[in-house]
Order: sequence, then structure tokens, then C-alpha cells
Amino acid sequence: MTTPTMAMKVLRSPRARRSSTTFLISAVFLGAVTIAAIFASFLAPYPPNQVDLLNIQAGPSPAHWLGTDALGRDTLSRMMYGARTALLAPLLVVVFSTIVGILLGLLAGWRGGWIDSVLGRIFDVIFAFPALLLAIMAVALFGKGLVAPVVAMSIAYAPFVARLTRSLIASERSRPYVAAYRVQGFGGGFIALRRVLPNVMPIVGAQSTLNFGYVLAELAALSFLGLGVQAPTADWGAMVNEAQSGLIGGYFLPALVPAVAIVLVVVAVNVIGEELSDRIGGEIPA
Amino acid sequence: MTLLDISELTLDLPNGKRLLDGISLTVAEGETVGLVGESGSGKSLTARSVLGLLPSRATMGGSVQLLDQSVLDASRRQLLELRRTRASMIFQDPRAGINPMRTVGDHLTETMRLCEGRSAADARAVAISLMEAVRLPRPEEHLHQYPHELSGGMLQRVMIAGALTSSPRLLICDEPTTALDVTTQAEIIGVLAEQRASRGMGMLFITHDLNLAAAICDRVYVMSAGRVEEQGDARQVFRNPQAAYTKRLVAATPTIVVRDSSTPTDAGTDAAASTNPDAAVGASTGGAASASSTVAVPATEPMLSATGISKTYTRRGKEPVHAVIDASIEIPRGGALGVVGESGSGKSTFARMIVGLEQADAGDIRIAGRERTSVPSSRVERLEHARSVQMVFQDPYLSLDPRITAGKAIEDAMRLHRRLSTTDARERVLELLEQVGLGDVHAQARPRTLSGGQRQRVALARALAIEPDVLVMDEATSALDVSVQAQVLSLVEEIRRERGLTVLFISHDLAVVRRLCDETVVMKTGAIVERGRTIELLGNPQHPYTRLLIDSVPRPEWNLDAVAAEASELEDPVAQN
Repeated sequence: MTTPTMAMKVLRSPRARRSSTTFLISAVFLGAVTIAAIFASFLAPYPPNQVDLLNIQAGPSPAHWLGTDALGRDTLSRMMYGARTALLAPLLVVVFSTIVGILLGLLAGWRGGWIDSVLGRIFDVIFAFPALLLAIMAVALFGKGLVAPVVAMSIAYAPFVARLTRSLIASERSRPYVAAYRVQGFGGGFIALRRVLPNVMPIVGAQSTLNFGYVLAELAALSFLGLGVQAPTADWGAMVNEAQSGLIGGYFLPALVPAVAIVLVVVAVNVIGEELSDRIGGEIPA
Repeated sequence: MTLLDISELTLDLPNGKRLLDGISLTVAEGETVGLVGESGSGKSLTARSVLGLLPSRATMGGSVQLLDQSVLDASRRQLLELRRTRASMIFQDPRAGINPMRTVGDHLTETMRLCEGRSAADARAVAISLMEAVRLPRPEEHLHQYPHELSGGMLQRVMIAGALTSSPRLLICDEPTTALDVTTQAEIIGVLAEQRASRGMGMLFITHDLNLAAAICDRVYVMSAGRVEEQGDARQVFRNPQAAYTKRLVAATPTIVVRDSSTPTDAGTDAAASTNPDAAVGASTGGAASASSTVAVPATEPMLSATGISKTYTRRGKEPVHAVIDASIEIPRGGALGVVGESGSGKSTFARMIVGLEQADAGDIRIAGRERTSVPSSRVERLEHARSVQMVFQDPYLSLDPRITAGKAIEDAMRLHRRLSTTDARERVLELLEQVGLGDVHAQARPRTLSGGQRQRVALARALAIEPDVLVMDEATSALDVSVQAQVLSLVEEIRRERGLTVLFISHDLAVVRRLCDETVVMKTGAIVERGRTIELLGNPQHPYTRLLIDSVPRPEWNLDAVAAEASELEDPVAQN
């Protein structure tokens, strides 16, 4: 019987942990952005749509730390308000896609058989459509705004979660502890929902965290195309779009700031997601 | 001439843990030295140190001298040279030790071509001769096969052949037969002994199996917790152990040696006799009946009766597998029946059908007079089936939910079947835990923090919480160290005595079955080939397969002139536990 012996445990123990400074920086950065978004109305120096006609496309100054855009609106304030949709929309997508994905994955992985095959093919079809394309279709059908893209992206991302959940549940289902529950007389529903699902949740959760970053980038692209949140509401993607015309005139700051913010948030989320899945992976017994 | 000389070897981890503490051992040319100990004793680490396979952060002390080379301060290049020419190692699990994506031929010839610069044809010829030497049946054909096409025993031969390609002076075998069946083990041991003799190699043989070590080793070192507890001539150490630890280990090791069956001395037979005076041989219906089955069927209905059970797995595009063929058993109330067989004999499938995890294709299972053949579907059926029969699984590392604490696992099982207030349930849980030798602290522990033996006790308590009529134990002790196994076995004996529990004990290990079971059936490729009282079956096996099984079990007197009577002395200190 191949029980882990001491030798194997020692040899397999993780190498000296790499410094998690990047993880800490990412977490702090993401926390700061979140706080700025939530308390934008208290923290922002100006209302997001207040026009300062004397300072149009101004550079950084004590009055406007990150300058102003073509209409003389304070970029920093708009960034803080814009963070609300930038973070909230992906959050909703992650929550919905995780719930839907887990339910479908659980069904496919636990029941197996034809349900698994049918769901598997449906996932394949959804995978064939880029998420952005689905979102654009939804906008075309249901009109611009936040709701249609969020719903469409939730559907597009659910299969990622569902596939992972399905394979985790399927491998878990064949483990002796599940057989032990059956022998004790527990019903399948109880075992699947109350016992097996919580065991795979950490891994699924880590995957969903990674999805957050991708969704954020794609939604920003959508609003850059003018299909997301509508003016004058502040949104990072829309801000890049609005600042486009200024680029020719050499006013790059209003476009650069939101673009860099998007990149930084996505990187931060990915760093956190990777770290989480590493930590969870490390706990799985050999 | 001394091949290997380890002196005062120590190994410390950065966190201050000392894993090896002053190990000294020597291996001479042509000598087989056993390194015996339970898991965590440091025997594998000691052996790995010889080849420099050590955790990178460990601090070493002492010295390891392999021929003229000191290993601990060898350079990378010297280490390579040493692994190429002086020593090789065979690992426990051949399936994990051979690259599954390469053919057996690649595995064998690669080192010869790369390290010795032989031509492909030359290397191939050497590989074939080595494969013949380890008695692989069709060397030419095996060259082009992948590991998954070979059985575990054949793969282990490939591994041995691979280790011999470098003509090592010292062969290190790390539990080379632990993952194998007992008959295969006997063959592998034969091959190893032959090669050692013909090449004059030294062999360092690591095992947890005392009987095996005693059977093949010239000298043994007994290790525990990173120290050498005792060393000396193999026969001497096991027949007359000096260290307290060795005494305990020898006492805990079950044996199949049959003494005068009219004076059963071990607790198992006593227990059986006291609880169940009329524990006659399970009347056999169908299958091969042995001579002893003429004993009358007890008047009362048997607790468990399975009649004509069959199970066939059909696989698309392949031959169907007949996992269980027309198997029938009966266990009287309070009796204990052992089912013995090697891997693939269908014994686990049989158990799974009895506990209702799989549907039998044909046959009839009755427990305490009630029909229990079909897999339960409704809630009521499920609960009733669960109260009829419970199971303890093989691997306690896998059969407990990693997230649920021991106490909660037992409580959940209990409250599923009986209405109990939270406080009453807690109390019962603690009672049960106490009964299996655990306490308050363990109730709060997650499986991860418990040892293998503790986990298996929790699994046992969980099964008992439901108060079943029959307890099925599927290889329930085979993942445990011998001393822990002995404790768990005596626990089961005690519970049988107290509760009059009926036990179906499934095992590959004849010695364990002998300790616990009144009657035994032997399964081979799905069919029951022999049945009878355990003692009679072991003492006077009728079927050739049973004889093969019994002969394959390593016994210290294998190559000695010792007789059974003498061997029984070995077992006298059993009283503990």
C-alpha cells in the first residue's frame, strides 16, 4: 500500500516559499481601489461630471492630480467613480457565472451519463463564442447598459466554472469517503451538496477569482466600444474611448490613466488568484 | 569486503527536526542486509542517502562511504558516477517509478546508450539478456510494450532489470514487493536472491515486513524514529529480540504458522469460541466444497447469507470481466468469516455488493433474515440497509471526509439513524471514541491531523455508531503499520466479544485472517475455490491455489531447518495489546 512515508513527505514538502510581497502589494492595491470606489462620493475631490472650463485637458496640478479631460472634468474623480462599474460588473458576472457553473457542473459530474454528455456539448457550443461577441449580441438585442452585458458574460463564463466543477466532482465521487457516506445510508443529494461540494469549493473559488480579471478587461473593451455604460456615467473603458480624440493633440493622460488602471487591476487580481490556487493546491494531500 | 559503510549519519531539517539520529550500518559484498521499521522510522531516508537522494534543505552529519567514495561531500559529478556504476535502487511502486510514456525498451536501454555510449543494437541485446535474467516471459515483445500493458509484478522485474543495467555493486531495494501480491512477491524475491548470488552484489533491503526480512536477510537493522534500535543476525534478532521495540514489533506481526489447533492460544480464536460455541463452518452452497463442510448447519438462520452471487462488468469493445462468479457464503450470528484473495480476485466487488454499493447480476443476499440484494433506492431502504451492514474501508486516508472532524463524522452517522438531542449524541460519540481507544481531543480533530491507526479507529467507530448487524472490513488493516494493525485487530476482537458482532473480513493477508476469523474462504479470479475453518484451511489446504498462497507467505524458516514448533516461540510475547 502506498501510504506517504516520511521520506516522501520530506521530499515533497514545498520549496522555500517564494516571497509573497507581490501578493501583498496586489491585495493592498485592490483593497485601495475598492475603498475608493465604495466611498467615491466622500473621497473624490470633485463630482464626476463637474466641468472646469478653465482647465480643459490640463496636466497634473495640485487642483487636479491626474489632470482633466477634454470637457475639463477631473480625471481622478472620474476614475474613482468609474471604479464602481469597473469592479461591480465583473463581480456580478463572477457571482452569477459561479453559481450557474457550480450547479451545472455538479449535475454533470455527479449524475454522469447522458446528462453529462448533453451538458458537455452545450458547454462546447458556448465555448465556441467569444464572450465579447455574446455580450455584443446581448446589447444588440436588449439595448445598451450594464444589465445585458453582465447577463451575457455570466452565461459565457459559466462553462469555465462548470467544467472545472464537473471534473473535480467526478473525481471526488469515486473516492472511498463518498462510498462510506453511501454505506452509512446518506442520500445522494445530501452527499453531493453538503459534503462533496464544500470540498471542491476552494479550488472553484480560486478559478472564479481569476475569471474576475478577464471579465473586467472584456467589459472595459465593451464600454470602450460604446456598448456598455452610457455617458455621462464615468467608466474606465468609456473614459479611454472619450479620450481618444485628445491623443492626436498630445493629451495622452486622460486615456493613459484609465488604461493603466485596467491593466493594474487585472494583474493584481491574477496575482491573487494564482496565489490562492497555489495555496489551496498545496493543501491537497499527495 | 565492505561495500557500504554508514556511520553516525544524522539528518536535520531547517525547522530543527532530527529525522535520522546516529545511524550506523555496513553492507559487505554478497550480503543481504535488511533495514526494518515502521513508516516514519527513517529507513527510506537512510537508503536514499546512499545515492545522495536527499531533501535539498537538510543538514547532514556523519559519513556515508560507498566503496572508496564518500557520498555526503561528493560533487554532483561524483554522485552521477556513483549512481552510474556503483549502486542502483529499486523503488516501491514500479508503476510510479517508470515513465508511462516510454516503452519498456526505452527505459532499459536509455541509460546504457547515454552513460556507457553503447550502440542501440548492443544495448538492446544487453536489455534482452537482463530481461531473461529476471525471468520476464517474452523479452523481445516486452521491449516494445508500454508500462500499462504489463502487470505490477512484471513491471517490478523491468525495474530490477533497469537497476542491473549498470552492473551495480550495491542494490538498494526500497520496499520492492509491498505493492505486490504475495505470490508475485515470492517470485520477485526469488529473482532478487538469484541475481544477488550470481553477481555477488551487496543488497540493502528495506521492508516493514519482519517475516520477509527474516526470510531473506543475513543481517538486519531494526529502525524506529530515526534510530537503529537493534542489529544483528536476522534469525537471532527475530527469535530472540533484545530491544523493547523489536520485541513489540515481533509480537505484533501476525503469522500463519499453525500450531496444534486444539489449543488455540491467540485471543481471536478464544473470542470466537466464547461468543459463538456453535460457529460451524459456513454451509457451502455451490462453489468448491471442502471436506470440512460436512459439519451440520446451525439450526438458527445465519446472520449473513449470500447465495450464488455473480457480477460481470461489460466493457465496450473488450471481453467482459467476470468479477464474481457464483460465490456463496454464510456467517452465523456472531461469527467471523475471512475472504482471502489476491488483487483482482473479486473480493472487494463481493463486499461492495453486500453493503449495497453495487448491484449483483445474480444471486441473493440476506442479512438477519431480510432481503438485501438490491442497491437501496428510497430513503427507507437506504437506512434499513445501512442498519443491516456497515463497512470499514481499506485506506483510512481516503475513507474519511477531509473536512469533517472525527466527532462530527460519527455524530452525523448516528443522528441519521436515530433521533437524538445534540447533547445525547455528543455523549454517545465520546463513548464510542473511548471504546475504540480515542478520546475527547480526537473528536475535534480533522482526519489530516490523525495518524493512520487513529483514522481507522474513527472509521470503525463511525460504522459501529449505526449499530449494524454485520460489519464488513475490506482490507481494513492493510494500510497500517504492523503494530497499529495489531492494535486495530485486537480492538475488533474485543468489540466482537462485547457486542457479538458478525464480521466479514476481506484481506489479502492470510496471517491477519488467521488472527481474526473462525472460517475462511479463498477467492481466485471471482470464484470461491476453497472454504473451511481457518486453522484447518491453513494447516491442510486442499486446493492447489490455497497451497500456493500459503507457500508464498514469507516465513523466517524458509531457508532454515526450523520447524513450526520452534517458530511458535516467536509468538509467545503476544500477550500485550
